[in-house]
Amino acid sequence: MADKKAGPVVETAHLTKIYQNRQIALNDASMSIEPGAILGLLGPNGAGKTTFLRLILGLHRPTAGYAKVFGRVMHPNAAELRRRIGYIPTNPQFPKGMTPITYLDYIARLFGIPSDVRKPKLASLIRAVDLLPHSGEPIQHFTPGMTARLAVAASLINEPDLLIWDEPTHGLDIEARRSMLELIKTLAAEKTMILSSHNLSDVDEVCNHASVLNKGQMIFHGTLQDLKGRIRKNHYELDLEGDQKAITKMVVQLKAMKEVLSATLRHRRLDLKLTDEVGNTQVLAMIFQTLSDGKVTLISVRSVGMATEQAYLDLVEREEQRGFTRLYQNSEAA
Amino acid sequence: MRGHMIELSPANAGIRFNRFLPYWAVLQTDLRQTLRSWVYRLWVLMSVLGACGSLIYRVGIKEETGIVQTASSQTQNLLRGLVIAGVGLVALIAVSAISSERSSVADAVLSRGISRYQYFLAKWHARVLVVVGTFLVMGTGILCAYHFFLDPDITAMGGLTALLLIAAVLAVVVSWGVTIGALANGTVIAITTFWLIIYGGIIALSLVPKPYPSPERMMEALPYVLRGQYDPSTVLQPAIATGALCLAAAAVGLVGYGRKDV
Repeated sequence: MADKKAGPVVETAHLTKIYQNRQIALNDASMSIEPGAILGLLGPNGAGKTTFLRLILGLHRPTAGYAKVFGRVMHPNAAELRRRIGYIPTNPQFPKGMTPITYLDYIARLFGIPSDVRKPKLASLIRAVDLLPHSGEPIQHFTPGMTARLAVAASLINEPDLLIWDEPTHGLDIEARRSMLELIKTLAAEKTMILSSHNLSDVDEVCNHASVLNKGQMIFHGTLQDLKGRIRKNHYELDLEGDQKAITKMVVQLKAMKEVLSATLRHRRLDLKLTDEVGNTQVLAMIFQTLSDGKVTLISVRSVGMATEQAYLDLVEREEQRGFTRLYQNSEAA
Repeated sequence: MRGHMIELSPANAGIRFNRFLPYWAVLQTDLRQTLRSWVYRLWVLMSVLGACGSLIYRVGIKEETGIVQTASSQTQNLLRGLVIAGVGLVALIAVSAISSERSSVADAVLSRGISRYQYFLAKWHARVLVVVGTFLVMGTGILCAYHFFLDPDITAMGGLTALLLIAAVLAVVVSWGVTIGALANGTVIAITTFWLIIYGGIIALSLVPKPYPSPERMMEALPYVLRGQYDPSTVLQPAIATGALCLAAAAVGLVGYGRKDV
């Protein structure tokens, strides 16, 4: 398990990247990632996610601010820091004419891993990612699933403390995606991870922290629970069963309650919005009692908008609406 | 992954990393790739065919007309032709070292445990080794063939010195080619710029007053060098100049590439 007492694995302060004085790719991004965190990096296309990851890897130099990895400032020549990082790019590129064995051997040598360690390691990784039958075949003939598995093996060959995976489920079929998510959950017990993803359900499933980038600005950094907590909480959907007249009568009763802002019935699905003035458990208890009195059976109850996707969309939408006020309310937004 | 669980091992603190292994990995891979590339093969093929054609022609003149064909002057003519004609391809080999991998180098190589300095040095050394090594092998073959088939007047020491002098000029071309390829944002722009610099430089250097070394002047002195009739200063001066230019190229490349976004 990662050492929680150690300092942050990644720390950025006022990290800014402006390309050739023409494009602001990242603007004043400050955050830190504690050991053991599984961070989901979210944001629309062009938000600055890949720029952020490249700055952390030392592939790009910041225009202002800094990125520290394992307590030291990352820069293009910081090979010793990158030895502790396992990276998967969005679309992994492989040198031509290489097989999984020669490729992993090359990557291991790029990390400086001596022969007596790297040979057994690459053999066990090829077996682990189920590429043993294809270990002597040219990589350019591989399917997206096979290349994804090879990229995973390459990112683990140096036994890294920090994994940076950019869109790891991109282009994978359902089975391969499921395997990838299970692998991430397994690795989460040992490593600190940064997962950049468009797939919010993936982030919801495997991450415990999230950062949201929008137009180069980090508009949220915190736990996934905090992100979800920012959205409307008192909005529920109830699936009901019972006599239609009883259900309609019960809805009229609910509308009469001062704690219920709105109650809309669509077929047998009731959309309920409650006030924030009273605790939601108390109001829900009253509603369930009303259902019980009306002999209406409750099939299911869902909290609308508690998904990460909704929270993310709300956050981005709110950021767009803030306009110039964001100049003065940065701390509040974060 | 499918049905397999990756066994997690402890963090990499236990691995004894070899700091020079990344350099060797890039050097070896680049040597292999360069020797297989079509530009390299074209350069070798063009040089060998040119040398063979020239040799057959000179032997024919010697045998048919009886005109004396001294190995030193004919070798000078051939080497001058091969360098001027082949320098374009040599420039291509050099410039493409880093610029041709621009799209994948960051994700595939530089995101691993290798520094920019190591990567640049490995690429530079690999291309210099390939070009200089190949030229020395071809040049030795040419000298031997000309010595045996034409009127022999080349000394072993003179031949070796002449080859090393031309190899030093090629090393300068490769060094600046790798540097320009590393710093430029596009391969086509880099190659065009470099060709202009090379051929423009050859013309400009030929206009430099006599005490200063120039490729043209070095070529003119080549027959004397091949015969072993040379003043050590005529060899030392170009050797120092080419060495300084190589080091300058490496310094510019290291500093520039070490600060570049990839």
